Amino acid sequence: MKKGKITVIITIAIACFALATVMCMQFKIVKETDITSIETMREEELRTELANWKQMYKEAEEQYKEKESRLKEYKEKQQSSEETSKLIEKELGQTNMYLGKTNVQGPGIQIKIEDTNSDEIKPISAEDLLVIVDYLKLAGAEAISINEKRIINMSDIVYINNSIIYVNQERILSPYVIKAIGDPTNLESTLLGNGGYIELLRNIGFEADIEKDNKIAIPKYNKDIGYKYIK
Amino acid sequence: MIIFSMIIACILGVIVGLNAPIISYTYSSYLAIAIIAALDTVFGGIASVINKKFDMKIFISGFFGNGILAILLTVLGEKLNIDIYLAAIVVFVGRMFLNLGIIRRYYVEKWTENLKNKTNKN
Repeated sequence: MKKGKITVIITIAIACFALATVMCMQFKIVKETDITSIETMREEELRTELANWKQMYKEAEEQYKEKESRLKEYKEKQQSSEETSKLIEKELGQTNMYLGKTNVQGPGIQIKIEDTNSDEIKPISAEDLLVIVDYLKLAGAEAISINEKRIINMSDIVYINNSIIYVNQERILSPYVIKAIGDPTNLESTLLGNGGYIELLRNIGFEADIEKDNKIAIPKYNKDIGYKYIK
Repeated sequence: MIIFSMIIACILGVIVGLNAPIISYTYSSYLAIAIIAALDTVFGGIASVINKKFDMKIFISGFFGNGILAILLTVLGEKLNIDIYLAAIVVFVGRMFLNLGIIRRYYVEKWTENLKNKTNKN
């Protein structure tokens, strides 16, 4: 009887021991494993999670594509606007050149006329300069200056009191240096030769030189071109 | 004496279990089902003691046999892609409630009898 009781005690103790051990192990496992981590997830959970992620990926990809196309559009727009701005800049430069608002350089001629000191001959007048400028324009001059004063379409060459020459509202004095950019031979030949104005001046007794040069530099018109009354 | 040995064994088991290495989470479901099986056997044992039908051999074989069988069934269910462990849990927990009912009834009856005796004596 006593022996049987001891075996009963021992077996029950073993059972209790096993049960407690396994239960504690299980508690520990459940407590220490992160249920939300992928490794411990059940298959169905993983499946739904995967489906979710796939959906999200799809959406993200769509968004990405949309954004990309928009970016492309913007880039194209930017490029086109850049092109137009370049074009406008070019046009502006050309307009400035036409207006005489830029320093220019090119082949042409340089005319130098000096007043004589003698009293018999009338000094160079604004008309003389005007005629020369007109001849140069006729010969296809693209830019003209008198004593570094750029002649533009609104330039004035006037003779005040038959003694003072004004160009671009500023007084100029002898020697008069007229620069013109254009075909040098054309420009020269229109002033020299039979009936050329320089020839005439020389005949009167002025000292007039014409030089051909491949690098004539003409400064820009240095005043503002403004419109007050044009509407 | 029996209760004393049970308490000592339980304390030892808790100590060993807390210091045991962690088993991979995938095997924890097997352990859980084994625990349920063992608990069922324990309650069944208590109930059989109350009914005075307790047999040591049946208790021990049930304790370990049910646990192992539950684990094997769970493994088989996993292989067959069927949640057999659910059926095992239903059966074991159902039986646990049944046995708990027996135990409860026994003690409640005992208590009421004691109360009756006391009132009769008075």
